[in-house]
Amino acid sequence: MYVKSKWDEIKISWSFRVKEWKFILKRISESPLAVTGIAIIFGFLIIACLAPILAPPQGPDPFIVPQDIEIATLTPNPTPPSTRHIFGTTDQQYDIYYACIWGTISAFRVGLSVIIIALLIGLVIGTLSAYYGGIIDEILMRITDIIIAFPGLLLAMVMAITFPTVLPLDITLLTLIITAIFSLTLIISKSRRKLLLAILAVFVGDLFLYIYNPIIIPLNLSKLDKVLISLALVSWPGYARLIRSEVLRVKSEDFVEAAKVAGCSTLRIIVKHIWPNTIYSLIIVSTLDIGSIVLTAAALSFLGIGAEPNFADWGQIISRSRNWISRPDLLVANYHTFLIPGIFITLFVLGWNLLGDALRDVLDPMIRRR
Amino acid sequence: MLLLGLSENQALLGDLHRIIFSLNLNTPPLFFLQIKMVSLLTYIVRRLILLTFVLLGVTLLIFAITMLLPIEVRAMLYARNYQHISPQGLRELAEKYGLTRPFHEQYFTWLSQVLQGNLGWAKSSSQPVLEAMLSRWPYTFEIVILAAPIMIFLGIYLGIQSAIHKDGIIDHICRILSIVGWSLPSFWLGLLLLSVFYGLLGWLPPGPISDELRQIRDSSLFIRYTRIDLIDGLLNGYPQITLDVLKHAILPVVVIVVINMALLVRVMRSSMLEALNKPYIVTARAKGLDEKTVIYKHARRNALIPTVTLSGMLVAGLLGGLVITETVFAFGGLGQWAATAALQLDIPAVLGYAMLSAFLFVIANLIVDIMYAYLDPRIRLE
Repeated sequence: MYVKSKWDEIKISWSFRVKEWKFILKRISESPLAVTGIAIIFGFLIIACLAPILAPPQGPDPFIVPQDIEIATLTPNPTPPSTRHIFGTTDQQYDIYYACIWGTISAFRVGLSVIIIALLIGLVIGTLSAYYGGIIDEILMRITDIIIAFPGLLLAMVMAITFPTVLPLDITLLTLIITAIFSLTLIISKSRRKLLLAILAVFVGDLFLYIYNPIIIPLNLSKLDKVLISLALVSWPGYARLIRSEVLRVKSEDFVEAAKVAGCSTLRIIVKHIWPNTIYSLIIVSTLDIGSIVLTAAALSFLGIGAEPNFADWGQIISRSRNWISRPDLLVANYHTFLIPGIFITLFVLGWNLLGDALRDVLDPMIRRR
Repeated sequence: MLLLGLSENQALLGDLHRIIFSLNLNTPPLFFLQIKMVSLLTYIVRRLILLTFVLLGVTLLIFAITMLLPIEVRAMLYARNYQHISPQGLRELAEKYGLTRPFHEQYFTWLSQVLQGNLGWAKSSSQPVLEAMLSRWPYTFEIVILAAPIMIFLGIYLGIQSAIHKDGIIDHICRILSIVGWSLPSFWLGLLLLSVFYGLLGWLPPGPISDELRQIRDSSLFIRYTRIDLIDGLLNGYPQITLDVLKHAILPVVVIVVINMALLVRVMRSSMLEALNKPYIVTARAKGLDEKTVIYKHARRNALIPTVTLSGMLVAGLLGGLVITETVFAFGGLGQWAATAALQLDIPAVLGYAMLSAFLFVIANLIVDIMYAYLDPRIRLE
């Protein structure tokens, strides 16, 4: 194709992408399951955005569920749905409606942030391991094996309990580690000697700084943050493995060889050629996983390791009903305390799963154009 | 991703995606090692070496995590009566149990104890760890042995039906059911079932066994051959105990089946669809074979491989304890025990449990890989 100017070149390169996205959107809109999934997620997004209007906060922190003191003086037991509290109240008179509305935001926060942290860790480790292979692959994969072999829910529990509330974030140590990783990758890639020297110099500087004057920033973590961090630390190995296998697949493709021959740097090959080709499976898997992560977080809340007791979180409300598992009369009388938040959780997870399932059919290159 | 069945809620089992994706990418899901091996024996030996490595790693990890706790808190865990303990007493406790010593020394002390067969004392259940695990395990086993066949057969059956009738009504129903089942929080499903069948109807109570029958079981006349009440009841001539255990196990089994079946249906459906698109199916049809033979003899056999893999991993994960389901139904199995131990930071118990489930995981992987090589002649452990 004859290219007139730089602008035309950009236009042509983009026209393929636009065509691609149009095709994907068309396929999605044709699948009723995907449309349902998107509608559910969109509904929850609207609830999350309108939370201050739907349930006006009554204190400085909107995530603290308000307590109905008037009824609390009369009875400690949960009250069934009424005009005053549409979804009823839990024991100690926490409003379930309020918690469900604001819990939507917590659910998005948990799902998205865990996925993002886990994906980032997985991306770095998986790519390094697949691209360089050899001893690095061996070491990194054995570490992932250990974490995968671990009962994840339990590991998350132990981590969430033992994590300190104030995390001393050691900035110098962090930069030390990052520069160490950078210089390691440069050593292996056998190129850019000057950059390597510069990074090593920074490393040595960091080392001195660390020995004489470590900069420590105390990071206050809420209970939910601890759950987030521990879930992310438990769930990255799956992504690392997935990304590794994807990179291994892409690495042997002709266009990567061509890029190597054309003299592209390792970093450029990874970022420009390999990552874009792994993105679809990552999108599918992370969409499917947001649901599971919200479920796991809710399960942790149910087991007693979640947010603070009065924090607006779906799992937290259901966990209160553990008190009447052994009492059949209470179990029936207080059905609303677990039924309604449970419906919220199920719908939320269902939305993501429907979307992920449909995306799998649409995006998966092996089955899409059959 | 799934935590290998350990949360029955599908989360975090990284290999699921590999299994699902391997269907499309045609990579054999040989876990852990890219094996280039001389024989099966060397393969197994290498796996067992890997097992020790994984066990060391897992325990080191937990040890390292617990080191995040201040010494006072860890010393508190050893105290008998921690409400009435002075800072001085805490310091003495820390000295006594060697908590002030460096990390590696503490770890090696624990390790040498383990190598002598002493897993330590589980404070949360006032028992030695090994004994506690052995006494809890039968309850978990009861649920798994009842749930696994149902879940696997239903999953395979529905997956095949769904694939045969692709885009038909049956397919849509199966897909929606499996996605909904996959989205249900297990503890919520458990609570709902309990409130209907126990609260409203009073039919199926929680717990592993009724109180009256528990007395019979614990009496000296009742010999606990296998420690599994389901079998011991029959062996001792008390069929009512077996029936009672079955009655108590119905609800947990339903929860496990509903949630895990969803996964199996999905995997079975996609691998069946994949198999039905293969050239050999076209050949079989062109030969004039009837549809039944084509589906059940040619397609199903090949489509079963990933499902078998997944079933193996799922059952191994379930055997390691059903943390949430057991907690909801107060079933008293391994999972519930482990959850209580973790909540109370009973470190020896958590370490013991972690070793057990890592062991199960590696062994299950080994069995699955060997079965894989056996089922699919293209994959050989070279």
